[in-house]
Amino acid sequence: MREGELSKGRLALLLNLPALAGLLLILAYPIAFAGYLSLHTVSIRQLRSGELPFAGLANFARLSEDPLFWLALRHTLVFVAASVVLEMVIGLAIALVISDERVWLSRLTRVLILIPWAVPPVVNGLLWSFIVNAQFGYLNRALYKLGLLSDYVNWLGHPWLAMATVVAAYVWRTTPFNILLYHAALQGIPAQVYEAAAVDGASPGQSLRLITLPLLRPVVAVTLILRTTFSFMVFDEILAITQGGPGNDTWVAAWYTYRRAFQPPFDIGLGAASAWVLAVMVGLAALVYVRLVYRRVEYA
Amino acid sequence: MMRLPWRRRVALWAGNLCAIAFLLLPFVPVVLGSLQSEKSIQQDTRALLPGDYTLANFRLILSGGRSKGPIFEQVSYLPKSVERFPSAFFNSLLVGSAVTFGALIAASLSAYALARLRLRWTQALLQASVISRMVPLVVLMVPLYVLFRRYNLLNSLAGVIVAEVGLLLPYAVLILVPYFAALPPDLEDAARIDGCTRWQAFLRVVLPLSAPGLAACGVILFILSWHELLVPLILVSRPELMTVPVVLAGLVSDYFVFFTLMMAICLLGLLPTLVLVLTLQKFVVRGLVSGALKG
Repeated sequence: MREGELSKGRLALLLNLPALAGLLLILAYPIAFAGYLSLHTVSIRQLRSGELPFAGLANFARLSEDPLFWLALRHTLVFVAASVVLEMVIGLAIALVISDERVWLSRLTRVLILIPWAVPPVVNGLLWSFIVNAQFGYLNRALYKLGLLSDYVNWLGHPWLAMATVVAAYVWRTTPFNILLYHAALQGIPAQVYEAAAVDGASPGQSLRLITLPLLRPVVAVTLILRTTFSFMVFDEILAITQGGPGNDTWVAAWYTYRRAFQPPFDIGLGAASAWVLAVMVGLAALVYVRLVYRRVEYA
Repeated sequence: MMRLPWRRRVALWAGNLCAIAFLLLPFVPVVLGSLQSEKSIQQDTRALLPGDYTLANFRLILSGGRSKGPIFEQVSYLPKSVERFPSAFFNSLLVGSAVTFGALIAASLSAYALARLRLRWTQALLQASVISRMVPLVVLMVPLYVLFRRYNLLNSLAGVIVAEVGLLLPYAVLILVPYFAALPPDLEDAARIDGCTRWQAFLRVVLPLSAPGLAACGVILFILSWHELLVPLILVSRPELMTVPVVLAGLVSDYFVFFTLMMAICLLGLLPTLVLVLTLQKFVVRGLVSGALKG
């Protein structure tokens, strides 16, 4: 070591100071503080006076008695299951059709993959709210012209159709991320593996099932974890397309937290409690996936 | 390489056409909607193509609601989002640039330490970054709102920037670590033999060599900041400080929705990140893959 030079440990600490400050102030401290808030009565009045009376588990008790909270949780599970499955299936299908270099068109497709990802989430929601609009929307116009509809459908007026619309909008924006990762993983599989399989008489279907899919297992695990945790937090598309409607049929967990904490009656204590429940659920989902699916795959 | 049997070739072509339709089809109604007047879209609700094309929507938005022209002359009510759009665009540019630079500086220092100065606690920090990426944003917004309110940071762009830098920092570190780890250590060792300290070697050798990684991380940070709705929505309520997503979210609660105007404003709002993704695609792709798979 040079004279006057910092030791490895000190330099590492110094270089990490800004990141550590960020992690502590914007992530760790607020998470702990959310726990504190969830145990206190916090609303506009308490925020103005600065005194937060201790409430014990009252917020959690009110949460468990709120039917809308359970409804929002159920909707969240439906939303997560539907969107994650679709993102993976569509993502894998598109990654497979673009991975063959010998098809000229796939080069064009590859340039276009990230376009939906570039759309801001709230803009995406607004786009889809126009597309499915009952009177002027182009989904109705197109389906009517094709003869698939005899009359216009009010897509956002029906509970299941409204949920399906939000899922479709969300999946459209987020699938490109999966395509990208699957495509990168597919490119990492040497062509000789497939050639050897073909020489041994494997059909394309067999080599997909017996070679490609097993080798994609680690990347599938990564996308499962990331997409599950992110779709638990879906907010922008709900705000822009349904605002939780029709009735309460598309209330999801993040929307519940937002409405309770940041709109009248500004029940921040309750919002913090539901935020904590959401965080625990996301943590459990991530843990289960890591245990179940993540295994390293090596091929010589 | 083996020749492709014709059946597979046809199947792959069809698959690619479907993929392109999936990726682009939702834009068709948006573009068609933005290029017509509200009258034309309401007149014939069965037509696919507009009766008349006009750029009036774009002219109105870009002039902040001043250049009304014949189409909007009679309109007494215009959504507030129209007049707020130009200043919101500027705010988003400001926040996006500041967040990109702030997070990039902090993340590159940290990522270098994590990739090169391997110590037990730096590895724990890397794992903490992976975990903190999964914390739902809504969980953080409740306490951040109370804290920012307490320290008078609400309604300031600086507050939004600080919050976004903090929230994006772990992801930026995850993107950058693989780039630094992939650089051959020999180059640094050579610089150190020539008399550089570790810090000098980092500034003069490692940073210039990892420019592609910094570019990838930077463009992704800017895009994510441009997309962010919840943070500015909750931390800012004054109209002159709103960013593009907040102003666009304001269209939702408007009583009279002008769909044609809404589609034009949406296209303008998504244009910057679309251009970035298309022009810097190589960097975006590598950054996203690096941040997800190797971190």
